Amino acid sequence: MQQVLAITKLTLKAALRFRLVQVLGTLLLIGVVALPAVIEHDGTARGFIQIILTYTLSLIGVLLGFATLWLSCGLLAREIEDAQMQMLDVKPVARWQVWVGKWLGIVALNAGLLLVSGAVVYALMMYRANKLPADEQRVLAEEIFVARGAAREPIPDYKADARLVLQQNFASGPPAGVEPQQLEAFIEARVKAQYEAVEPLHIREWTLDLGDAADLRDAPIYLRVKYNAAVPSGTENYLLWWEAGPPERIMNLLTETTFRNDPYGYVPGHYYRTNLMMAYEGFTEFKLAPNLFNDQGVIKVRFYNYTSSPMSFPLEDGLEVLVRRGGFGLNYARGLGILLFWLSLLAAIGLTASTFLAFPVAAFCSICLLIISFSTGTLEQIIEEGGITQINANTGYADEGSILNKIAVPAARGTLAFLQLARGFAPIDNLSSGRVISWNEFAMALVKIVVLMGGMFALLGILIFNKRELATAQTGH
Amino acid sequence: MGHRKGYKIGLICVMIAMLSLAGVTLNSLNKSRAELGLTRVQPLENAPPVLAFTTKALGGFRGLIANALWIRASKLQESGKYFEMVQLSDWITKLQPHLAAVWVHQAWNMAYNISIKFNEPKDRWPWVHRGIRLLRDEGLQYNPREPLIYRELAWFYQHKIGEYLDDAHNFYKWYLAKEMSEALGPKGPPNWAELLDPKTDEQRARVQLLREKYKLDPAFMKQVDDYYGPLEWRLPESLAIYWATFGLTKTEAEKLKREDLITLRRVIYQSLQLAFRRGKLVRLGETEGDILYGPNIHVVKVANEAYIRQMEMQPDQAEHMSTGHRNFLGMAVYFLYTHNRKEAAGEWYKYLLERYPGAVQPPKNLDDYALSRISEDVGEIDHNRVKAIIMGVFEIAFMNYGVGEDDVAVNHELFAQRLWTRFMEAINSADQKQRQRVGLPPLKELREEVLARVLSDDYGLDPIINAQLRTRLNIPADAYRTPATTNAPPAAAAPEPQP
Repeated sequence: MQQVLAITKLTLKAALRFRLVQVLGTLLLIGVVALPAVIEHDGTARGFIQIILTYTLSLIGVLLGFATLWLSCGLLAREIEDAQMQMLDVKPVARWQVWVGKWLGIVALNAGLLLVSGAVVYALMMYRANKLPADEQRVLAEEIFVARGAAREPIPDYKADARLVLQQNFASGPPAGVEPQQLEAFIEARVKAQYEAVEPLHIREWTLDLGDAADLRDAPIYLRVKYNAAVPSGTENYLLWWEAGPPERIMNLLTETTFRNDPYGYVPGHYYRTNLMMAYEGFTEFKLAPNLFNDQGVIKVRFYNYTSSPMSFPLEDGLEVLVRRGGFGLNYARGLGILLFWLSLLAAIGLTASTFLAFPVAAFCSICLLIISFSTGTLEQIIEEGGITQINANTGYADEGSILNKIAVPAARGTLAFLQLARGFAPIDNLSSGRVISWNEFAMALVKIVVLMGGMFALLGILIFNKRELATAQTGH
Repeated sequence: MGHRKGYKIGLICVMIAMLSLAGVTLNSLNKSRAELGLTRVQPLENAPPVLAFTTKALGGFRGLIANALWIRASKLQESGKYFEMVQLSDWITKLQPHLAAVWVHQAWNMAYNISIKFNEPKDRWPWVHRGIRLLRDEGLQYNPREPLIYRELAWFYQHKIGEYLDDAHNFYKWYLAKEMSEALGPKGPPNWAELLDPKTDEQRARVQLLREKYKLDPAFMKQVDDYYGPLEWRLPESLAIYWATFGLTKTEAEKLKREDLITLRRVIYQSLQLAFRRGKLVRLGETEGDILYGPNIHVVKVANEAYIRQMEMQPDQAEHMSTGHRNFLGMAVYFLYTHNRKEAAGEWYKYLLERYPGAVQPPKNLDDYALSRISEDVGEIDHNRVKAIIMGVFEIAFMNYGVGEDDVAVNHELFAQRLWTRFMEAINSADQKQRQRVGLPPLKELREEVLARVLSDDYGLDPIINAQLRTRLNIPADAYRTPATTNAPPAAAAPEPQP
């Protein structure tokens, strides 16, 4: 451990000697302070804070990300090329200790810079927010400077239902001229649509578990809705009628006349109802009355379709109830923590590349790897279409199983599975929209990004480094 | 050695010759590119140094970056996150400042797609306003001869703010009128003398506001007003006419597709028709959305001329456009008739029959024609038209009171009441927001407005009839003396606006 810490210290000293910390720190501070002055926002206090959070944290991520790659590729590769590593290699320090020590040094450097820049962003944001009128401060406190969790209904297993429909109706195979994949996709879409659709003069109910009722008492509750309308309305929105309350206490179903005559009813602890013009094909968020859940923290939400158009609420994000789960400060810290995990992964990638490649090549390869990681859409498309060549324009699937396709699909699947480990964590998005980053999510990010992905690169890097003949890499001596 | 030196000098001469030749060819190629409209070869106009440098320095990579930003904007929009849209639109347009379609799309997206995602009119307006600003303050700054941008800007005023398809249209009109009042003065038509030659600090401040914030040139406004007006400059259709006319004067000299100019001309005559239907500001209150407007029957002549000019310029579309023109003339006759301009209605009716002999079948006299149109319009759904009709019917009623025809007058008042009730009942099945959007102002308000106008000095009612009307309706002699209208007929025909 002593050896590892010594290497860590040396790495930090090297970074300081290169004036990297000074340059990077100055750049970060200038960026963080100057960015709000040049960004155009939507004119609302909420939009301003959201864009500051998004852009300053993204700027920090990008600057530190590039610096991490540069540093991790440069430190090891140059020391090998300049024969400094040979001097170290004769000392009683194992090569894995050198690798880990350097990685820890870069991570420590990132942690320090992230802490300082993150603290400056936080302080500036709070300073600006405190200067806003009380109304806007309240909106920020309830919607942005908070950690809100989303309660959704579990998605039903419509794929299993679709398979059942297929077995029952097409046991002998698809009709002539129809590809099996096409039929499967069609049936699946139909079954899913049945779960999502609400016909005119019909209702849809959602029963959602919000969590511990005691924690939610008197806290604001928001409904976030996204819907599609089968019939365009001309003004691109419809008047939608909503009712919410504890499942046992909410009133019996209302008639259209009753609801229309009293559209804004509210009986505390029993029900709350309202109507709203809501644009389709987009999200609308609105506030409900507090305490509309039972002792178990369960709430029932009803939608009455009094329009002449069938509506559909996507199963994935059609309706969610947003409630407070914690404060902003800790959430912000967890968000910065996940950023640090990503930087740690970058450091591992860079160090691994530099164990067997020269500095420019290592940097190039690391950047290529990053580009591939951003191309998950292409990978998904390869899997979906069953290959990369001979895609039938009519069916959208690869007709023939060529060798290339046979290699491409498992390769894409494997890469995607690996990349999925790091996907799904969006700390900047979560912070700017006031969404909670739970401890569970934080721990998952640590395990998946640092332990699993970073660990794989570390193992690979250490393995190659151990096998490397250092003398052959020497240049200019 | 001498041979080697001569060889080098020879190579330098060849190099200079080749470069000169390339220079000559480049000029010729650039000329051909410009003539054929293949690519834009002119430098970016009016661009700040940073933008000029960025567009040159990034070269072909600009497109890639713009694509990435565009994808991000689409994804954010899909997930209902709009706070970045202004910044992203700014970057996307700045990266491709020469592509008019990019400006138009980004502005349209904000004004049409994003605005409607908000429930409250006051939350929608900033997005409409941003769309306008993007085109007016920046798009036109870098592309001052691009008809597509002028057309889109004019369309935002004509359609997004001027029409009533958006639930918040009344708020947009109210807000715009408030803004324009700040620059033009709170009441009445603009004082052109003040705007063209401001004498006081207050006048200079207003002109500065007009020029710098709203990018309107008072001299050109006056030209437009003289030619097409009198226009109510606080209403959106006047600004649509301004920008379309301004676009024409800026782009007519360019080598453009004929269709580009046609779209600008179309905005003018459509907006004039809109101004005829409801281009008069009756009331502008302090409460949000409190705005009342009525028909501006003074623009019938210029609207007619705009139609004819457009048909002459597009002979291949003339037959198709003649249907619109015929409908416009029919509506003009009818509006003039219901607004007690029987003589003018008769002249335009004669003109209608001369120009389109088969337009009225079976043939009718003016009274029968007007009455048949009223019967048709009882089932009308355009609230602007119904409001105009009701106001016209009130006008006839007051004239009849003035001449002692009380029975006729009462009948007309009852008829106005029936029209109002029938329309409001027809929209009663709609939801509350829709009723608010297309609903009529209270009948009492409409009656009051017409009465104020008829009794005002500017109306020019015969003093005896005026006095009789006052006596009959028990109105004091000094009430309603101030002009109630904001539009007055032009003193004389004016020349066409020039660039």
